[in-house]
Amino acid sequence: MGVTRFSTLGIETGFFPSTRFENAMHFTASKGSVSRLIRNLQDLGYTVVGPSLFEGVVRLRELRGPADLATGVTDVQAPGSYALGRESPLVFSSVNGPDSPKGYLHPAEVELSKLVANGGGIELVSGFHTDRKYAFFAIRPCDLRAVEVMDRTMLAPGFEDRVYSAFRKGAIFVVVNCTRAGENCFCASLGTGPAAESGYDIAITELPDRMLFDVPDGNTPLLQGIELKPATEVELRTAEELVQRAREQMGRTIAEQDPSRRMYAAMDSPTWEKVAERCLACGNCTMVCPTCFCNTIVDRTDLRDGSVSRVRVWDSCLSKDFVYSAGGNPRLGRMSRYRQFVMHKFAYWPDEFGTYGCVGCGRCISWCPVGIDITETVNGALRDQRGGEKKMEAHPVA
Amino acid sequence: MPRQALQAFTRGTVRGVKKETSDTFTLLFDLADCRSPADFMPGQFNMLYVFGVGEVPISVASFGRDSHLMHTIRSVGRVTRLLAAVTTGSSVGIRGPFGRGWPLAEAEGKQLLVIAGGLGLPPLRPVIEAAIAEPGRFDGVKVMYGARTPADLIYSYEYPRWHAAGGCDLLLTVDRGTSDWKGNVGVVTTLFPKAGIDPGRAVALICGPELMLKFSILELAKIGVPAERIFVSLERNMSCATGTCGHCQLGPLFICRDGPVFGYPRLRGFFPREGV
Repeated sequence: MGVTRFSTLGIETGFFPSTRFENAMHFTASKGSVSRLIRNLQDLGYTVVGPSLFEGVVRLRELRGPADLATGVTDVQAPGSYALGRESPLVFSSVNGPDSPKGYLHPAEVELSKLVANGGGIELVSGFHTDRKYAFFAIRPCDLRAVEVMDRTMLAPGFEDRVYSAFRKGAIFVVVNCTRAGENCFCASLGTGPAAESGYDIAITELPDRMLFDVPDGNTPLLQGIELKPATEVELRTAEELVQRAREQMGRTIAEQDPSRRMYAAMDSPTWEKVAERCLACGNCTMVCPTCFCNTIVDRTDLRDGSVSRVRVWDSCLSKDFVYSAGGNPRLGRMSRYRQFVMHKFAYWPDEFGTYGCVGCGRCISWCPVGIDITETVNGALRDQRGGEKKMEAHPVA
Repeated sequence: MPRQALQAFTRGTVRGVKKETSDTFTLLFDLADCRSPADFMPGQFNMLYVFGVGEVPISVASFGRDSHLMHTIRSVGRVTRLLAAVTTGSSVGIRGPFGRGWPLAEAEGKQLLVIAGGLGLPPLRPVIEAAIAEPGRFDGVKVMYGARTPADLIYSYEYPRWHAAGGCDLLLTVDRGTSDWKGNVGVVTTLFPKAGIDPGRAVALICGPELMLKFSILELAKIGVPAERIFVSLERNMSCATGTCGHCQLGPLFICRDGPVFGYPRLRGFFPREGV
């Protein structure tokens, strides 16, 4: 299922198999079986994280039980807009809210270490440790690909991040293939959805009256106690058609097939200035982005005992002081900061990590307070180039 | 590099403090406290940590000479202002060393151009020390160093020793002279015609402010030094030093992990370029 236009695969991270599951087994079960699946995950010691209605938004939250799962609610999204829509007969009825697994694998705030001053030196009281195992339940295929993208940034050989690595090693993924596209989705043009191809423990496609489970080998404990029937040809075809419908629904697209090279040349496009006039540099896009990893470490002193917590918090390349240093601020203007965000996803990321940094989830469009559409920016910059790449004219070999 | 070296602080006890200029100072640590000389390459940097305040990336100015680890720092921000106040016997946290250093092996047998502006000299100082330690390793060493005023020239107490060493020519310049300044006045590139550069066998190592880097590269290109033999050390605000915080990114490069020293061809297209 799914057409991969530019594969994110290439570097072996050690977690994801590098090919799709050829021997996947397909079963169907009743719709109510997902409750049992959630309980099974809990019984196996997982903290189950899934879509849950919270303050009028479908968030990705810890599910205490099946009752916490957001079912039957739909979301209506537009640039700069998110609202709940009418009720739906489906179990997996909403698409992406603002959260992604990033918030759990690379938490917005995490204590890296606790230190005390000791005889003029520094002593480590405690370092980061976790035993928590997350089961991500009913995340969407784009978010699964986003985890794969994050693997490359946070688990680069020799530079593995210990926090991400600890959470990532324990995590499993129950992905739900999309049968409806969100209004801001564009995964189809990036080849990151609407169906998952690999990396999941179970993939579910919701059929009109049954759940279709795509189960790679060796995952039977997760489905224990669920009455499974082998999927019929008709059911498999129906699933394909539903996914295809979602693919065709997508109104947004990255128009160019592999834009990374041409993006460098598009750095002087007037599009950047035009978009930056609207950008508030608030950083919402980077917060909701499932692959944005930038962070900073702050020291927090406990006034009671003088100990210091070194806490890592998310940071954003949109913020003014992000690249400030003694030598000056190379990205002082808002245009340069917004351009950094987009160039990173579509030009730098492929060179740095061998994959695009965008998975087409559309969150940055929905949660931008002024509704800036990243697909319009990329397509616009590629369309309105001001002539080629600016080089150092005097250099003979430049 | 051992894993914990990336994440954990070692305790660096300050063995000496030297005032270099009005705002710049040098801290000397016992190298044995931290690492052995074999762990370092010229051009790398350490993260220095002030307890409860934060870390700053500072290039390694010397390792091994007199068993010292040396850092030269300009007092300019929150952490460096506190570092300016440390005294002999006190300690700071040290993480490192990080990054890729100068390609000295590639320069062996060739004319070595060491070009520094302002506080660009400390990361090049281990190169000068390496050249002095092994006369004949390079076919001539030209050190070209510029500062704003004569009072801003750092390491002036070392110049006689550097000069005395065979094959190491030191050329100085200042942007603004004083009545007792007899040397060159002008930007560092004005030293190029006086240095006897042989473009056919010169390898240039450059560190300094971005504008100085840009004009040095342009001038060297004009003389005929090919891009493949031009190396620069770049500065961004490295925060984690392990390629995961994103602060030091320049285009597709992490300065902390892929640099801070880069061959110029690798930077073409996005350095120097405004707003990248």
